[in-house]
Amino acid sequence: MSITIIKPGFMCSVQDLGRWGYQEFGIPISGAMDIGAAIMANRICGNEDNEALLECTLHGTEILLNETTIFSVTGGGSIVTVNDEPITFNKQIKAVGNSTIKLHPHPIGCRSYIAFSGGLNVKKVLGSYSTYTSAMIGGQNGKNLEAGDLIEVKKISSDHKKENITITASGFGSSNWKAIAPALPHVNDIVKIRCYEGPDWNLFDESSKAALFNTRFTIGKNSNRMGFQLEGTKLNRKEEKELISSAVTKGIIQVTNQGIPIILMADAQTIGGYPRIARVFNDDINLLAQCRPGMKIQFTSI
Amino acid sequence: MEYSRIYSIHDQAITFEFADEISEVVNIHVIDLKHYIDANPFKGLIECVPAYSSLTVYFNTDINKNEVIELVSNYNLKLTSQTSIQNSNIITIPVCYEMGEDIESVASRLNIKKEEVIQLHTANIYRVYMIGFTPGFPYMGTLPKALTLPRKDTPLLNVPAGSVAIAGNQTGIYPFNTPGGWHIIGRTPIKMFEQKNTPCSFLKPGESVQFQPISIEAFNQYK
Repeated sequence: MSITIIKPGFMCSVQDLGRWGYQEFGIPISGAMDIGAAIMANRICGNEDNEALLECTLHGTEILLNETTIFSVTGGGSIVTVNDEPITFNKQIKAVGNSTIKLHPHPIGCRSYIAFSGGLNVKKVLGSYSTYTSAMIGGQNGKNLEAGDLIEVKKISSDHKKENITITASGFGSSNWKAIAPALPHVNDIVKIRCYEGPDWNLFDESSKAALFNTRFTIGKNSNRMGFQLEGTKLNRKEEKELISSAVTKGIIQVTNQGIPIILMADAQTIGGYPRIARVFNDDINLLAQCRPGMKIQFTSI
Repeated sequence: MEYSRIYSIHDQAITFEFADEISEVVNIHVIDLKHYIDANPFKGLIECVPAYSSLTVYFNTDINKNEVIELVSNYNLKLTSQTSIQNSNIITIPVCYEMGEDIESVASRLNIKKEEVIQLHTANIYRVYMIGFTPGFPYMGTLPKALTLPRKDTPLLNVPAGSVAIAGNQTGIYPFNTPGGWHIIGRTPIKMFEQKNTPCSFLKPGESVQFQPISIEAFNQYK
């Protein structure tokens, strides 16, 4: 079994739950931005949590199923059709060969996860399927997916739970059950993100500490899998001081010398030297992954 | 060595900070502690990430934060000079200084000759304090005082892979074509990161490095 990428859309890459154990060599964890949605997509298909799946940012992605395929879509950021008929997220779906999955614009969420029963058959690099483009490792030759890429889907093992799905005239059918997913933010929402004071909280002046929680920030255009750059009040330190670099990871809110906060995300560097004013509560990192540039966030203390 | 500060950088990652300075003694302790934890892993441990003067311990939900602090604190007490694993091997890294695009400007800013930059840079044995910035990028020190320069005001958008660079009292090597703000004084033909190798990084924290000048011909012939 295999799938062909007709159009990658904004961005589409193979991910899993991350590349652990290599940070001492400077290799970021990577993996799905919304870990919760990735796990759910795999579970719906009867896969292990850590199977390779697709992470699609916003819309535009088109995928051809070369044979009858069982898959699921979770997360958000798009309306998904199979053979031009809308499907429901968080259900197991079975579609006949030659079916096309398309991701259309939608104002809710930002990243969708498409898991295929059996999992995508890509090579594990340093213990993970995750694509990390900066070092060209993992996924499909270390790159984001491109039009024409063909990816094999692994055979479903015999103990895989089988669903009775009736395929309709449109070439697909879906499970009569649906997994319960967390609510996703609308582009016009002001998204509340809970955070703790960070390791370098006390280096910031009082008005900057207050501004972090009392003002709203906009997710900037310079936001990607590595980090979200925030537009809003500049955050200043009490005094200029070069910090000694130490480990950083996703959820850390670091502030550049220009006073710009950056929330580190899945492809965050392993070590950083900017002061860390705060860190996002773990459970809200998945919610952040579903926010797109231009959206407003409000930090709340925990 | 006692830690000066313990803090969380994630619900499942704690940093043990030993000093607010870059010192070889502190870094030796950090890496000894990392080796000790790696040799005596506890349930729930994912990995340890050493930096200049701190060690960050990543763990999963099989263990809680307080248990990690207690375990690591016990390990830290057990570390003595006897448990110290010092690697005395010196790794030689060939560098073609003629390919360092900033070497002339570095020499003129330091008010020394280009040859002196090379001589100074190759005279010292450097310690790999940590690997970071990108996969395989070694932060090495300590540069001779005569070579210290603040980093560039504007980072170069595309530093070629293999570039050997200096900034402050540190020297490093860019494994990939990436943006970078350090002054490029040479280039090595050695691949600093190779996913097929074990380990994938050419250098490891705690190792010792010395640079050896090579010609462009030698660089081109290097396999």
